[in-house]
Amino acid sequence: MNLRSIVLLDLIGLLLVLWTFHLVRVRRLYAGYGVIFSATTAITMVMISVPGVQAVVTTAVGATYPASALTLLALGFIILTLLYAFTQLTILSDRLADVVQLLAIRDAERAATIGTEPDRSAAASSRPNSHQRDALNT
Amino acid sequence: MAVDGDAARDVVIDPLRLDKPGADVSPSRVLIAIPAHNEAPTIRGVVERILRAVSGSDVLVVDDGSDDGTAAALDGLPVMVASHYCNLGYGRSVQTALRFAALHEYHALVTLDADGQHHPEQIPDLLEAFDRTNSDLLIGSRYVQSDPGNTTPWPRRTGMWLFSNLVKLTTGTTVKDTSSGFRVVGRRVFHLLTRRSFVDFHAEIIVYLLCLGYRVTEFPINVSTRLHGRSMYGPLNYLKYPAKMLLVVPINVIEARLIRRRARS
Repeated sequence: MNLRSIVLLDLIGLLLVLWTFHLVRVRRLYAGYGVIFSATTAITMVMISVPGVQAVVTTAVGATYPASALTLLALGFIILTLLYAFTQLTILSDRLADVVQLLAIRDAERAATIGTEPDRSAAASSRPNSHQRDALNT
Repeated sequence: MAVDGDAARDVVIDPLRLDKPGADVSPSRVLIAIPAHNEAPTIRGVVERILRAVSGSDVLVVDDGSDDGTAAALDGLPVMVASHYCNLGYGRSVQTALRFAALHEYHALVTLDADGQHHPEQIPDLLEAFDRTNSDLLIGSRYVQSDPGNTTPWPRRTGMWLFSNLVKLTTGTTVKDTSSGFRVVGRRVFHLLTRRSFVDFHAEIIVYLLCLGYRVTEFPINVSTRLHGRSMYGPLNYLKYPAKMLLVVPINVIEARLIRRRARS
């Protein structure tokens, strides 16, 4: 890879890391996802920039064919799509958490106002038990 | 279809709030909250100890999607229960308590763990120190004074040493115990901590509040061995959690500085 390509790819990587930071800052991307994206990008940048590392990794993983420009485009597409999907997931998840919090507060307020216990049976029945969770996880 | 981010979540600091008087920590203005997830064996005992130790304060248990009957274990006790319909995690449970406290205009929120590690008998001392030091966040610290009864495992202690230094590096303030769940939060910061989500309410909010000019202090506490259950930090979290903190702490520093700049202009 020539110097111009290395500089260009590093620049793209840097922009991706900064964009990820921005998304985490404005709460559109969970910090956990942000760590995965920025760490992967940083490692890729090191592999591209440090002479010899790329060849070592290529040999270690057993790749036998050179990466074409088309592969790079496909990788870029996958990364952007993943970032978009995780952003949407974060926003929806945050909204769900807000709703769950408000419902919990309203239940507690109602119970405190009318002096009755909240409808815990409804909450419990809507919640998967440990067996159901195991089934979902498998 | 794309989901738009919620613009209303942007925190805009109201400088007037900084001039508001400190919290009234008389018992009727204090909410004691216990985030709990599958803590049925211990929660009743913890709440009973709180009711004995602090009379006149409201107690809120945030049941974070437990399926072991944690909420049912409180039947007959004069406490409020906010039950999450699904498990949202520790940070969101604390935030539910903060939202409740803000909605009902409590002056201070005390949080403590549901596993019996914290001593509710120390709440009056914490509140007294909170009032005396005019704090916005008072952390019940295990490491201000050496505590022979302390049973924190070494990986966690190492983590806390790292986070403590991260806080010092970013704010210049020494906070020895950044991950204590026993703390008092004042009303001046309720709005800041409820308008956006946080990974948890540990190093991240300490840095955030310090950078915004709020007062964070520590008060020595004793802790006992956990009576039931496991730590919420599993083996994988010893890697994941520091990585997350290394990302979010600098981000919070930047965010706080931007907020201060916006408030000044």
